[in-house]
Amino acid sequence: MNLPDQPAADHVLINKPMWTHMELPSRPTDVTKAATGSGSAGRKRAAVSAVRMRRPVSSLSLSSSVKGKLVRAGFQFTTDLQDLNPEHLSAEAGVSQQEALEALQAASSGHGVAPVTALELLQKEEEFRSIVTFCSQLDEALGGGVPVGKVTEICGAPGVGKTQLCLQLAVDVQVPAVFGGLGGQVLFVDTEGGFQVQRLVDLAGAAVRHCSLLAEDEEQRVAMTTFTVESILSNIFLVRCRDYVELLAELHLLPGFLSDRPRLRLLVIDSVAFPFLRLHDDLSQRTRLLQSLGLRLIAVATGHNIAVVTTNHMTTRLRGGQAQLAPALGDVWGHAPSIRLLLRWEESRRLASILKSPGHMDASVQYQITCQGFRDADQSERPQSKRPRTQTDQSASSRKNTGM
Amino acid sequence: MNWDRLQLKPRIISAIQRAHLKSVREVLVVSEPDLQKMTGLSRPDVQELLHAAATACRTHQPITALQLQRGECRRLESGLRLGTGCPVLDQLLRGGLPVGGVVELAGESGAGKTQLGLQLCLSVQYPVEHGGLSAGALYVCTEDPFPVRRLQQLISEQTSLRSDVPPSLIGRLRFSDNIYVEHAADLDSLQVCLSRRAALLLAQGRVRLVVVDSVAALFRCEFRPDDWLERNKQLLTISSMVHHLSHEFSAPILCINQVTDVFHQSESSSSSPSSSVSPALGLAWANQVTVRLMMCRLQATVSRGDQSSALRKLEVVFAPHLARGGRVLAVWREGLRGVLDPVLAPFGPDVAQQEKVLPLHLGSV
Repeated sequence: MNLPDQPAADHVLINKPMWTHMELPSRPTDVTKAATGSGSAGRKRAAVSAVRMRRPVSSLSLSSSVKGKLVRAGFQFTTDLQDLNPEHLSAEAGVSQQEALEALQAASSGHGVAPVTALELLQKEEEFRSIVTFCSQLDEALGGGVPVGKVTEICGAPGVGKTQLCLQLAVDVQVPAVFGGLGGQVLFVDTEGGFQVQRLVDLAGAAVRHCSLLAEDEEQRVAMTTFTVESILSNIFLVRCRDYVELLAELHLLPGFLSDRPRLRLLVIDSVAFPFLRLHDDLSQRTRLLQSLGLRLIAVATGHNIAVVTTNHMTTRLRGGQAQLAPALGDVWGHAPSIRLLLRWEESRRLASILKSPGHMDASVQYQITCQGFRDADQSERPQSKRPRTQTDQSASSRKNTGM
Repeated sequence: MNWDRLQLKPRIISAIQRAHLKSVREVLVVSEPDLQKMTGLSRPDVQELLHAAATACRTHQPITALQLQRGECRRLESGLRLGTGCPVLDQLLRGGLPVGGVVELAGESGAGKTQLGLQLCLSVQYPVEHGGLSAGALYVCTEDPFPVRRLQQLISEQTSLRSDVPPSLIGRLRFSDNIYVEHAADLDSLQVCLSRRAALLLAQGRVRLVVVDSVAALFRCEFRPDDWLERNKQLLTISSMVHHLSHEFSAPILCINQVTDVFHQSESSSSSPSSSVSPALGLAWANQVTVRLMMCRLQATVSRGDQSSALRKLEVVFAPHLARGGRVLAVWREGLRGVLDPVLAPFGPDVAQQEKVLPLHLGSV
C-alpha cells in the first residue's frame, strides 16, 4: 500500500480506499520477468500515461494463478495492461485467451475512488441528523443524539437498560422529519431473546403521544397521520440469530437487504457479546472474526449512511490485583465502535456515561426508564417545542467543536 | 454437505470440494482472503459462494414487528405466557413467564423457590386459555430430592387455588403423569440430561417447561475459587444449551439459583436495591439470563383459618418487558398466593386492582 509521497497542496486529502494512488514516476519493474522487451514497453506506456489512476494487478478480482502469471510476466499495474489485446496478453503472460480477456476487463473497469477533502466530509456530516434518545441530557452530551454513519456501542451490566435504549432508538429513528427525526426504518438483530413486542408497543404508543402533543402546524399534523403505532411496528425488521455463525451470515446478506430498503437508517445488534462469548475454545478465531465484524460494521455505517448500534456485556478484569468491570470482548472489539456509552447503576440512580468518543467530552448524565421508555431523570414528559434541526444546527455543531 | 443444493456454478463446487470444506458454517467463518487462497477462486466467485452459504445458514427472513404482533410468525413470537396460577403474580409478570428465554429465580433457602417451581409445573398443564401451555414439565433436581409429598398436596388442592378454572377440567388433568423428574448430581450428568432427555421430551411435545433446581449447587461444589475460568466455560456451555432448548421449542426454562451475601454494594447492582444478598454465580451467569426474579422472606406472618404463613416477596430484578417491582405473597396448602392488603403497603407497591383474595388476619411478628 503506497501513500502519495507529497501531500497535496493546501487542504487535507483523505484517500479511500487506500490502495488507489496517483501516478508516480514509474520505477523499474522487477528483473525476474520473462525475457523479450515487454517490460520496457510496459514502462514506456506507464511513463506516457502520466495522470491516470493505476492499481496493482494483485488487487484485481482474478484467480490467484492468473495474477501470479501476469505479475511474473512484468505486468505489475493496471496501466501496464492497457492498450493490449487479449491474444498479445495471453502470449506474453502465458495465460489462456479467456483469462486474458477477463484480466483486461477487470483492469479497465472500476477506477477506484477519488480522494475527498475534509471540508466536504464535514459538510456531509452536518447534513445528517442524529437519532434522539428522548433523554434530552444524553442527547445534549452526544451533540444531538446517536450519530448516523458511525458505530456506537452501549455497554453495561445486565438489567441496566441496554435493550431498552435499543428499543427506544428503534422507535425514535422513525420520528418524522418535520419533528426533527429521520423518518427511517430499522433492522434489529436480536441474539439474546430480549426483543419483546409487548414492550415495543408501549414505547411506540408513548412516542406517538409525545409527538402529537408537539404538533403545532399543519405539516406536523399531516405527518402524524402516518406516524402511528402500527406504522412504527411495520418499519422495524427483526432477525433472531442463535449463534455467531448465523450473525455472520446475516451480515453477509446485509448489503442486499440495505439496497432494497433505502430508508433504513439504523442497525441494532443486541448483543454482539452474547454469541461471541460462547466461542471460548478458539480465541484466535474469535479475535479474527470480531475484527472482521467490526470492519464490516464500519463499512456498512459509512457506506450506507446508517447508524450502527451494538450492545456489549461487562466482564470483570483483573487490573493490578483489583477486579474491575470492563466491556467484554477485549480491546480487539474495542476499536470497532467510535462511540462507547456505559450504562451503570450508582446506588439507586441510573447513569449513562460517554466512555469513548472522538467528538464529545466524557460526561455522565442521569436517566430513567419509565413505562414510556428511556427518559430524563426527575422529569415527567415535558412537551418542548421541537423545531426541525436546521435552526438548532448552530448550537449543536459549535458544542461538538468545542467538546474535544 | 450436499453442495448442489446451493445452486452454485460447477467450478465453485469443485473448488470447495478440493479445499475440503464440509459445511456452510465452515465457509462462513473463514475470512474472504483465506477463502480465496484455499479455493483459488476469484473474488466475485468467492462473494457468490459466501452469499449462497449465508442464505442457506439463515433460519428466517427478517420480519416486521407488526407481523410479530399480529401473530404471523408463531415460531419467533408466539405471544404466549406461562401463568403462575395466581392473578396477583401474573399481573406482576404481565401475564406470566415469557415463553422464549431463561428465567432465573434466586433467593435464600426457605424463601419458596421450589414452591413456585412446583406450582409452575402444575400450571403449565392447563390449556392456553387458562394460562398454561397444554403440556407437562421436566423437573431436574440437583441437590435435594424431589418433594413428592408436597406435589401431591398441591395437586389435591388445585380446585381451591384455581377458582377460575371449571372443576371438571381440573378433574380431567392427570397432573402427576405429566411431570418428569430427573436427578443430576454433577455437571456432566446435567449436560447429558439437558441435551438428551430434555430435548427429546420437548421435541415430542410432552413437556413445555423445564425447571432446574438449582443451578448454583453444581457449580459451587465442583469448582475451587481459583478455577473460575473453567467454571465460566461450563456456565456458558450450560447456558447455551438451555437457551437453545428454549428458543427451539418455545418453552420457558426456569433456573433456580442460590444467593450470596453482598458486603459492598458495587456498581453493578444486579440484585434488587433493597436486599443485602445477590444471586450466586456472578456476572458471567447474570449476563446469560433473560428474566431475573428474586424471592425473599419477610418478617411478617399472615394467618388464615388454621394455616399461617410467613410472608414472601417476589421481585422482578430485570426483564426486557417488565418494570421493576414486587408483590407480596404467602405460601398455603394449595400453593403460592399473592397478598393484597393495604396494611401491607410498606412491603410492596400499591396494587390498584380488586382481586378475590381470602380475608386475612395479620399476625404480629
